[in-house]
Amino acid sequence: MDIKSIAMDGLVAASAHKASYCDIRYEVIRDENLAYSDGEPEPIETSVSAGWAVRLLIDGAWGFASSDDPTLSIKALTDMAAAVAKASGKVMAERVKLTPAQIQVGEFISPYQTDPFTVPLEDKIAFLADLDAAMGAHEGINSRSCFASFRKYDKYFFSSEGSELHQILIQSGAGISMGKSVSRRERYERSYPKPAGQYELKGYELLKELDFKAQIPRLVEDIKQLETAIDCPAKTTTLVLDGNITSLVIHESVGHALELDRVFGMERNFSGMSFATPENLDSLQYGSDIVNFAVDATAKHALGSYGWDDEGVAAGCTLLIENGRLKNYLSSRELAGRVNRTSTANLRAEGWKNIPIIRMSNTLLQPGDKSFADLIGEVDDGIFMSGPTSWSIDDLRKNFQFGCEIGWEIKGGKIGSAIKNPTFSGCTTQFWNNCNAIGDASQFVIQGTPNCGKGQPGQNARTGEGASPTRFVDIQVGGQA
Amino acid sequence: MTESKAMEVLHKALKQSSADQTEVVLMGEKTDLTRFAESTITQNISQEETTLVITAVNEQKVGIATTNDLSDDGIAEAVAKANQISKLQKPDARFQSFPDTTMAPKLDKTATVETNLNFTPNDMAGTVEAVVKMTKAKNLAASGAFRHDINTVAIANSLGVEQFGRNGKAELSLTIVGEGEQSGFGIAFSPDPASIDYKRAAEAAISKAEKNINPIVLPDGQYTVILEPAAVGQLLLFLSFLGFGGRTLAQQRSFLSNKTGEIITGENITISDEAENPIFGSLLFDYEGVSKKRIVPIQNGKAGEGAFDSYYAAMMGTAPTGHSVQPNNGFGPYPKNLVMQPGDKTFDEMIASTEKGVLISHFWYINYLNPMRTMITGTTFDGTFLIENGQIGPAIKNMRTNQSILEAFSNVEMMSKDRIVYPQYASLMYVPAMKINNFNLVQETKEEWEGSC
Repeated sequence: MDIKSIAMDGLVAASAHKASYCDIRYEVIRDENLAYSDGEPEPIETSVSAGWAVRLLIDGAWGFASSDDPTLSIKALTDMAAAVAKASGKVMAERVKLTPAQIQVGEFISPYQTDPFTVPLEDKIAFLADLDAAMGAHEGINSRSCFASFRKYDKYFFSSEGSELHQILIQSGAGISMGKSVSRRERYERSYPKPAGQYELKGYELLKELDFKAQIPRLVEDIKQLETAIDCPAKTTTLVLDGNITSLVIHESVGHALELDRVFGMERNFSGMSFATPENLDSLQYGSDIVNFAVDATAKHALGSYGWDDEGVAAGCTLLIENGRLKNYLSSRELAGRVNRTSTANLRAEGWKNIPIIRMSNTLLQPGDKSFADLIGEVDDGIFMSGPTSWSIDDLRKNFQFGCEIGWEIKGGKIGSAIKNPTFSGCTTQFWNNCNAIGDASQFVIQGTPNCGKGQPGQNARTGEGASPTRFVDIQVGGQA
Repeated sequence: MTESKAMEVLHKALKQSSADQTEVVLMGEKTDLTRFAESTITQNISQEETTLVITAVNEQKVGIATTNDLSDDGIAEAVAKANQISKLQKPDARFQSFPDTTMAPKLDKTATVETNLNFTPNDMAGTVEAVVKMTKAKNLAASGAFRHDINTVAIANSLGVEQFGRNGKAELSLTIVGEGEQSGFGIAFSPDPASIDYKRAAEAAISKAEKNINPIVLPDGQYTVILEPAAVGQLLLFLSFLGFGGRTLAQQRSFLSNKTGEIITGENITISDEAENPIFGSLLFDYEGVSKKRIVPIQNGKAGEGAFDSYYAAMMGTAPTGHSVQPNNGFGPYPKNLVMQPGDKTFDEMIASTEKGVLISHFWYINYLNPMRTMITGTTFDGTFLIENGQIGPAIKNMRTNQSILEAFSNVEMMSKDRIVYPQYASLMYVPAMKINNFNLVQETKEEWEGSC
């Protein structure tokens, strides 16, 4: 199939409809998923999905159509997108204007050592069977699971402005989880690196790097501790969050809050809005002065990295919050101009089928200078929590509540007894302004989130959130589960 | 895709498979969706995809391959891949067999409602235009989405099972907004987009937004609440997610596990799953070709039966209930046409009977805290009002609930006789309004945080 030739036919068809802008994507996505649960293999799943998408602007209104039907010509698909654009024009207040962007031509292949799709399936099965057996060897654990997941994107992009791009992205993920039911209503679980596992822009090598077997005894010990743990007390205290839960707080209270489509109310009915409205730009003290956030789609092995976003803007690194102050948003060419910025290359689609919308790439909390020993040792009375299990945040990304798999008391600068059902709640800006210490770079991990839901029809974006363990003072904990 | 074309693809795939058992499922999805905000269409799409899922089983070793390449080569490659995987995989002792024709006889009628194939993007925009016009007349702005899905499903397996069906569904979700945080929620569902009651949804949302001004703050506490049907639907969805599915039951993770016949809610609660109810416009067979049976997970407050496909039914020593969902999913069988038995009150009577309470239109971002306790968290949203002396009073600032759903359903004082279909996450819930006592509500923004957040 001559992909470029077909795309050019589509651009010609768009021109015939007097489209002021058009982009055409062709993508092939391969997935392979393996899992074991409770000693039994889950069905192995492989999939391949390929298709075309046409997005265009006619008289300032968007139209979008996508299809995998090989009998449908690119002209017919473009005609369909044009019909949708003309329908959009019926209910339009202002014409869409795109901020200028450089014409891009090139190829990006994500860095990896071993393409997971070249690894024999037998090896992958053996890897999981071995892990399952290692978890099953521990008495007292009555549920266990492990998984491995691989994805390869082969993406082409062509625009009426002249951009021509090709990207190959290889992503791998894996995780383990162990649990014990102690009664009809009580069950304890521990997972590594977190309940959803870890995903990175890497090849098969990720599975070995995660070194799962070394973590199993610690998870078993945690579950033992949970059996005798007290429920999380309800109080205001100093809270140290492990990097795996800090990353989720970042995802919900910073990444989503700074998506410019939310800020302008475009997700009002479904995904919500944001308290961080444009008049706050350059003035809102989002966090304490040690808090610095960047959105970075160039982080080498982070799950949310790429070469260009899905409207052909080159990936980059942009400071969102500098010394605690709001400096920028995640944006697209359509919306960046409304805050006098250029696009941060965050317009992304999940696969060929979906329309691109503003999504996080990697949202990174810059590391601080504290060792883990310091983060704990400087606390006379507090709680350390790890392993995100529950999250809920309001429609303005302002008030939230999170739950974790396990917590521990901190007494006199030392980790003490375990705490079960730990939760904490807060308000975004107050919470980040109460951040008084951030772990150093040696503890910094970019957690991969493979299932960030947004948009209609629902799209699961793959994002990264970078964090070290982080400390907050005067945080409300407990009393909810 | 026509039935003959779909069956041609399925037969081609089955013929090429050498597995002990093979199941092939063809799923066609066409979605038209018009999203709007600030009374302007912001996203407008038309998308379609047809996916072939092949499951091959050799000596209890299961392999699944999915493709949307329906060329001869594409089908052959997927069949070969599924067979290859199933030979390499370890045996899954839990797999017994796909359904046979005794369990899944071919149905003459496969959907409850005729599908509207002629509703265009222009028609979609026309409906949105009408909503925007109603909204602007009240100096408010409309946000929302109007979605129309047409699903085609064809199934065949090597034991002779065959089914083909097509159904449609349309939903309109509205948030009407005004000054500041003024907002109101409305929703409508119909199998036919041309029949969607957009006027009623818009009137409800507009009315709510008009009243939702200058919200007062309520202290933390346990309140008598009246949940509108949308809020009840959200709780029911999570309850179902946490415990009605065969996978959670087989894994002993469900609140129904080992409790059949025990009282788990108030006696006035009966929840069933009824795909045959034409109000849903659903298909009458599941993704294994088995007829969807009516199940009753909660009957007059007592724990009842769950939803099973052949895999989990075999594990539990029972029969499949026709609740297999799309292959290639991690959730297992699941009921998607939930019906809650109504009460005998009008909504106005429920309000009039309440001396002091809180009216909740909708919840935002529900998530579970403790699945076994059915403990969830979320905030009230798009219209929360104080009820005083039998009348709806001032708006209330959104509050967070941390609440066991089963406990809430144990404290239901009355329910409305009117119900709506509430759609969410591909599930449909036919639900009444509920008056619930002792419902937990706490302030979302703590008093001591004011000024700093």
